[in-house]
Amino acid sequence: MAEQKQIRLKIDDREVTVPAGTLVIEVAKRLGIEVPSFCYYPGLSLQAACRMCLVEVEKAPKLQTACTLVAVDGMVVHTNTEPVRKARRDMLEFLLTNHPLDCPVCDKGGECELQDMTFRYGADSSRFVELKVHQPEEKWSELVYFDMPRCILCFRCVRICDEGMDVKALGVGSRGVYSAIIPNRGDHLECEECGMCIDICPVGALTSGTYRYKTRPWEMKYVATPCAHCSNGCKTTLSVRNNQILRANNRDLSGFNREFLCAKGRFGFDFVSHEARLKFPLVRENGAQKPASWEQAVRIVAERLKAIRDRYGPEAIGVLGSNRTTNEENYLLNRFARATLGTNNVDHHRTADYAGLAAALGEEAPRAMLRMEELREAKAILVIGNEPSYQNPLVAWQIRWAVRNGGARLYIINAQPIKLRRRATCFVQADEAEALRHLASGGGQLSAETRHALQELETEIRKESDVAIVFGAELYAKAIGDLVDFGRQLNGQTRYMALGDYANSRGASDMGLLPEFLPGYERVSDAAARERFGRLWGTELSVVAGLDARAMLNEAGEKIKALYVVGSNPVKTFEVPAEKLARLELLVVQEIFPTETTAVADVVLPAASAYEKEGTFTNTAGDLQMLRKAVDLPGVRSDFDILRILAHQLARLGLGQPFAARTPEEVLEEIRQHVRGYAVSLANLLAGGAEPVHPVLEADPKAYDVPVGAIFSSRDTLFSSGSLTRYLKMVRSVNEARLSYEELRNAK
Amino acid sequence: MELPAQLEARFAELLRRYPRKRSALVPMLLFAQDQFGYLSDALIEEIARRLDLNVLQVTETLAYYSMLRREPAGKYHLQICTNVSCMLRGGYRILEHCQRRLGIGHKQKTPDGRFSLEEVECIGACTGAPALQVNYDYYENMTPERLDILLETLAQGAPPPPPVPHTSGAVHPRHPDEVPVISRRFGIPDSRTLRVYREHDGYRALEKALGMKPEEIIEEVKKSNLRGRGGAGFPAGVKWSFVPKDTDKPKYVIANADESEPGTCKDRPLMEFDPHQLIEGMLIAGFAVGAHQGYIYIRGEYRYVMNILDEAIAEAYAAGLLGKNILGSGFDFDLCTHTGAGAYECGEESALMESLEGKRGYPRIRPPFPALVGLYGCPTVINNVETLSSVPAVILHGGEWYASLGTPKNGGTRLFAISGHVNRPGIYELPMGYNLLKMIDVAGGVANGKKLKAVIPGGSSTPLLKAEECDLAMDFDSLARAGSMLGSGAVIVLDEETCMVDVARRIMRFYAHESCGWCIPCREGTAWLRQMLDRFHAGGGRSEDIPLIGELSQNMLGRTFCPLGDAAAMPTISIVRKWRHEFEEHLKGRCPYKPAEVLAGAD
Repeated sequence: MAEQKQIRLKIDDREVTVPAGTLVIEVAKRLGIEVPSFCYYPGLSLQAACRMCLVEVEKAPKLQTACTLVAVDGMVVHTNTEPVRKARRDMLEFLLTNHPLDCPVCDKGGECELQDMTFRYGADSSRFVELKVHQPEEKWSELVYFDMPRCILCFRCVRICDEGMDVKALGVGSRGVYSAIIPNRGDHLECEECGMCIDICPVGALTSGTYRYKTRPWEMKYVATPCAHCSNGCKTTLSVRNNQILRANNRDLSGFNREFLCAKGRFGFDFVSHEARLKFPLVRENGAQKPASWEQAVRIVAERLKAIRDRYGPEAIGVLGSNRTTNEENYLLNRFARATLGTNNVDHHRTADYAGLAAALGEEAPRAMLRMEELREAKAILVIGNEPSYQNPLVAWQIRWAVRNGGARLYIINAQPIKLRRRATCFVQADEAEALRHLASGGGQLSAETRHALQELETEIRKESDVAIVFGAELYAKAIGDLVDFGRQLNGQTRYMALGDYANSRGASDMGLLPEFLPGYERVSDAAARERFGRLWGTELSVVAGLDARAMLNEAGEKIKALYVVGSNPVKTFEVPAEKLARLELLVVQEIFPTETTAVADVVLPAASAYEKEGTFTNTAGDLQMLRKAVDLPGVRSDFDILRILAHQLARLGLGQPFAARTPEEVLEEIRQHVRGYAVSLANLLAGGAEPVHPVLEADPKAYDVPVGAIFSSRDTLFSSGSLTRYLKMVRSVNEARLSYEELRNAK
Repeated sequence: MELPAQLEARFAELLRRYPRKRSALVPMLLFAQDQFGYLSDALIEEIARRLDLNVLQVTETLAYYSMLRREPAGKYHLQICTNVSCMLRGGYRILEHCQRRLGIGHKQKTPDGRFSLEEVECIGACTGAPALQVNYDYYENMTPERLDILLETLAQGAPPPPPVPHTSGAVHPRHPDEVPVISRRFGIPDSRTLRVYREHDGYRALEKALGMKPEEIIEEVKKSNLRGRGGAGFPAGVKWSFVPKDTDKPKYVIANADESEPGTCKDRPLMEFDPHQLIEGMLIAGFAVGAHQGYIYIRGEYRYVMNILDEAIAEAYAAGLLGKNILGSGFDFDLCTHTGAGAYECGEESALMESLEGKRGYPRIRPPFPALVGLYGCPTVINNVETLSSVPAVILHGGEWYASLGTPKNGGTRLFAISGHVNRPGIYELPMGYNLLKMIDVAGGVANGKKLKAVIPGGSSTPLLKAEECDLAMDFDSLARAGSMLGSGAVIVLDEETCMVDVARRIMRFYAHESCGWCIPCREGTAWLRQMLDRFHAGGGRSEDIPLIGELSQNMLGRTFCPLGDAAAMPTISIVRKWRHEFEEHLKGRCPYKPAEVLAGAD
């Protein structure tokens, strides 16, 4: 790429060199000079509507808007002269004429841009004595309220909804001083309910139905932590008062998702305080589950596990892990299964074939993993399968950003007309695996028409370089091999992102919650790997091939006598009849809520949720981030603690070693040292940043395969989150939660 | 949804006109409203469906345009203008009389649904003030008596008395100082037909132009010193020369026929008497810049004028003057009209293009200017109707000849619409640089033997001149030196008994009504000043209001997104500065003049 031309200009007597084409408002920001603005918002189209950013430019006849003014060589700008200060004061005076000044009762009070700017730049008195334009507040949905009089018409909400979300649910009605933001259904909204409009609103015009009038911003503490729901790893900043989460947003731009959050990220925190939470252990006695103390429950679990192992051998025990527990917990669970219990029957609900991608990439993996942040900078993107707008909303947001602001070309292959097609350069509707086979080898069972469309797509994509490929669970094992074969034929460095379902789906896989892999995709069949982890865990590891999740469930009551389930609901997810699990001699479930599976469990151990513990998550793109504990729920214990206590109990009964690590940090240290691809820098992680991980699976990648049905997506929507769905009151309260995928996609 | 066949045909025709479907939105809404009386939810959904838009895109667009309604109006929708020119000649009396007769107020409907009433902003009948429209028909020079007759006839269900056949004041005995160039065909029977146009040099300039090189045409227009007649006065030839020659994009020519500046009604007769002159001008412009598509964006109120243009365009197509291979030259050019729907702001060129693309008429950030990035993001020449109508004469007789008609740097003639307190309001074609005082004499002098108090020299957005400042040449540069502007050439004459506070009030009311709401200073500033001037004029003024009116206007000036804020500020600043004593007299609790409308008018 050609070197970008640099220009020199002067702002407030400070010389600065910037790339040609930079806006003056951005140059000022770079110098740490604040040029106030309401309507300017990086990444959205320019408005020049609020006139707050007027600056003086030498040789210009009048003040110029810094948000639209492109810096040119030799330009001399002043941002703090009397004419500029007066202009700001005057604009604020105009703005406040029809503003209700109801700051004492406004949700935004204390974090309002209008308030801040008036404080900093405004006049000390008001000269307006006329009637204000007024309109009563409107409820647009359970989650979005609109107070027209507070609105300053910066149009951020309209733009974020249209340009950012491609939803177009907000517009402007009327004209002149009566102009008002209007929702798409006359008196209410029908949209994705992301709430972006609320957080991007600089004033209190758009407020959250769940937070309004609850508290003042300065009464809360703020905890930025990865979202508990999908696999994209957005940071959500939980606002906490008195051990209660009152709202979530990302106004502090703490994560790579910057301002983005979907409905679940923003409103899906209330499950934490749902009245149905499991708060004490349950132990089945004479057929009925009864509350028990932790001591009793753990003792019973340890004794029965020991007894079953003694009687049937370790292969009679199965362990099912979670998509939502931390890496540290998954790592410990792996150790618990293989070292403490001595079984390789370990698996989880796999929602994407991360192992398959690692296997197909082999040594190329570290260069070829597409990080979430890199996606928005991509110039060419190929999306295969999945419905990112609903299943992976940040991925969709990044793609839209790349198309809108980076001019990226978007290519899509999908069996369904997914929403992103509206931004696509080329969209081919076809079965994904067949299409891949065709692209890689010319085969595949496709109609002539589809083949033709694919050829056109291929012609175009072959002209691209450094293509970013994003794919869903439709592709696994061999199909990923086909994909990588195709990707290797493209120009530059093709990079890949597999899309899974849940907050730590990737982490579950990376930490080895798979029968054939130890943490970091080291094969159980590899003696050296076994030996290394065996030494670390103080036991010789079994070489007996483990059963996968479906096999374990099928064998429940047969070969499998005890099943240990952590944060998973196999009855629902794998559609196993509950009666089948009832035939187990022991079913233990660590869960946060009652589920179809806890209902048949012998022991239920109440666990802490993602917002109540520490640890790390790995998002679907391999970005490792730290969790921050926001609240405590008395009675529950983190999965980490439960496993540690149980291991200790079992050790006392003579089974395995107690876990030395007392905190997730200590386990993370072990992971950094011993799990391939996880040797990340701690500094950035501790500072709240994301670190890339890239496990390598080099041994015999071609041999990698998985049975049909082992990998499948739950196809959650924007309003569902697996077994948590029913406990998301706010998210489920909106009308759209009842719409199908198709209805959402077709909503105009 | 099934639509009447005629409307279907109209929609189908509209969809053929534009490279992007959405452009058809505003015309479709207006035509549908004509058919059904208002825009129901069902109609909106139907139009959205046909244009691949979502319902919100349609509702937010229609909410912007004041002619579009979500509720039925009366069978006869009376739209009474009270803007400055009409106000000076009794517009408010007509409105009040109408309110009394019908027993309804602004935006109300009689119980039988027969009549509805609306006080409207300038409808471009300033030389026929006071004026009103019944649906699309113009009735000018109204008196309470004539209004009675009109209402009675309408109430009886009889065909209404015929509206004025053309812009009142456009045809009159020529004053010796007039130089008829673009208005030379006004008043000739059937002047709007191709036959008559051709009998009077019609399309000879086009023939000549097609034999010239495009750059020669631009050079000729530059030489003519023809400056934009919409108000800004930018040299037309220079504007054309900015259009890139090497581009893969299509180029467009747009005639800005959204004539809405209060006091201005000169494009209306240009189009109703001489539509072919405009078509010819656009063809030449198109050939000069390499455009093959033209649009005439005409304000919605001028429906009958649009019909005249449509007929003329059809005639031109039939005669091979539009379409493919024009006059065997190999040059292709298509042209059609596009109706607005009630928005002054759409006269601003970038807002006009947004509107033409089927959106709310918000102005665009400039640069880039339309010559580079205009309609549909393509290079676009956009000129006022009068500017384009002057082009055939420039080409036919040469740029130098045209320039010589005016003063240096101000070439040619200008159509001055002289309204307000003069004996013969009308549209007069005078050389650029003609003396303003003499101009008032051309229009018969100040009405009723009164003395001159002030002149609004170029439409209501231009700073007012006191009587003693009026001995000056009417060209862009002389007026700029006098601290005002030539603007759209709309001269509004105010006599000695005009209340200047009332004038300031009425002007601000207009701009507040027309502010698009995009930027803060204009949206809030005009609304604030409107309320303040209303209160002040009604006797509720405070002494601190007087400097505040000036200061708030100053606070808008030069800081708004588009010139509308300046347009509201400039006349206001001049009135407060020049007639401050009249504001002070109002502090005593009443207007020192009888209401202006009693003092003037046609009776």
